Amino acid sequence: MTTTVAKLVDTSLCIGCKACELACQEWNDQEFTLGTFDGTYQTLPDLEHNFWNLIKFNEFERDGQMSWLMAKYQCMHCADPGCLRACPAPGAIIQRPNGIVDFVHDNCIGCGYCITGCPFDVPRLSPKTKKVYKCSLCSDRTSVGMAPACIKTCPTNCLTFGARDELLRKADSRAEQLRGNGDQDAGVYNPEGVGGTNVIYVLRDAKNPESYGLPKDPGIPWTLSLWKGPVKWLGSMVFLGGILGAFLHFVRYGPKDHGDEHE
Amino acid sequence: MSMNKQISRFDLTERAIHWMSAISFVYAALTGLALWSHKLYWLASVFGGGPTVRGMHPWGGVLFAVSLGFMFRRWARVMQLDSDDKVWMKNSHLYAMHRDQELPETGRFNAGQKMMFWMQSAFAVLLFASGLVLWFPEIAPRSARLLAVLVHPLAAIGSIGGIILHIYMGTAVVPGALRAMTRGTVSQGWAASHHPKWFRELSKH
Ligand code: HEM
Ligand code: SF4
Repeated sequence: MTTTVAKLVDTSLCIGCKACELACQEWNDQEFTLGTFDGTYQTLPDLEHNFWNLIKFNEFERDGQMSWLMAKYQCMHCADPGCLRACPAPGAIIQRPNGIVDFVHDNCIGCGYCITGCPFDVPRLSPKTKKVYKCSLCSDRTSVGMAPACIKTCPTNCLTFGARDELLRKADSRAEQLRGNGDQDAGVYNPEGVGGTNVIYVLRDAKNPESYGLPKDPGIPWTLSLWKGPVKWLGSMVFLGGILGAFLHFVRYGPKDHGDEHE
Repeated sequence: MSMNKQISRFDLTERAIHWMSAISFVYAALTGLALWSHKLYWLASVFGGGPTVRGMHPWGGVLFAVSLGFMFRRWARVMQLDSDDKVWMKNSHLYAMHRDQELPETGRFNAGQKMMFWMQSAFAVLLFASGLVLWFPEIAPRSARLLAVLVHPLAAIGSIGGIILHIYMGTAVVPGALRAMTRGTVSQGWAASHHPKWFRELSKH
């Protein structure tokens, strides 16, 4: 069995150097587009179709001084991916045996359903190719045993890559260490609502993932579950039942009088 | 008077509107169903492949919405339900059993046809509104999209279910009805038997 891989983001070690952003752009051969300058240290306000890895510089105040909570933002590679559930094109979104959720652009039709299905608001539609893009966890690198570009380049060991079980253990012990150092609320972010993620965070304040720009209780939206479950059954019942009902009605009652026989 | 003489039931405009909405509806329904279930994805290949279907389905839908707009303008008045129609609706099972004589006499359209008209109009509005949201996922807010992914298929199920009934009635149950929509005419006997009130009114002139 292939082991499930994961990326661990230890936010307490991020220095905001953005090397991972650049490594991602380089390896994935993204064209450079000038973004919005909004007076913050953040490269762009949000992810883009050609910008898959964003360090969010969440500003907050401590002891009257401005400070940052930095958190890397990209596809979480959910165990139960909402994007995959929503996708209508077979083979356009796949979950590899090692857990990576990958977009296969040859099969993508550009409907954008995955954008609606994703609880983390990650996939982006390219106006040029009319296809969606996001972090692939460098599946082209990991398939030949190399670490993803962002992880390879991280200078502080904030990012590590490896077997998911091991990284979860590592995350737990690191959170414990942080709690021992006085961060009472330190903990691991691995949200249950999407079956856990293959991108795992250690947060110094795990009670407030929002302050890092991460959703608090992400999950599969209930309208998505209804849409892909009961609504489909209802449709099959109406379509097949309608045709069968019409057939049975005709066998029992046949057509009405034409009217010409009435004189 | 021979009951076989042909009289006009739908003029050219009405027939043009009807077939424009029929063709655009079938196109929108089949291209939509292609994306509704992986089991029906083969329909996408029939209509030129996934990206083509994704690009063209909304335009088929827009054409359908426009034709229904024309149909609405033309027929909204005659489709008003009167007190006879309410009695008819309550006893519609008699119509299904071909005991039409026990029902109130019908005018140009019977109560079932009128209900079909109002239901399909309502579904068209829902399909158009939710379709617009699905068309532009980058612009529409997520809450609207999460609602649209329910409303659009539900309205499609309702309207396709209605159309199955509509086509069955028009082709198999009521002989002569299809000719009214292709050639525009029906026999006097047909009119007298299926729409007696309408026939008497026509005969007055
Ligand atoms: C009135 C204007 C309409 C618009 C703007 C519209 C737009 C859309 C869009 C954008 C999608 C997403 C995928 C795609 O682009 O193909 C979609 C899906 C769909 N449409 Fe429409 N549509 C319209 C009318 C209709 C009509 C008349 C039907 C037929 C009953 C229909 C049936 C469907 C179905 C079954 C789906 C798939 C839903 C799912 O995945 O659950 N649509 N529509
Ligand atoms: S974060 Fe979004 S795009 Fe990534 S796997 Fe989860 S649902 Fe899919």
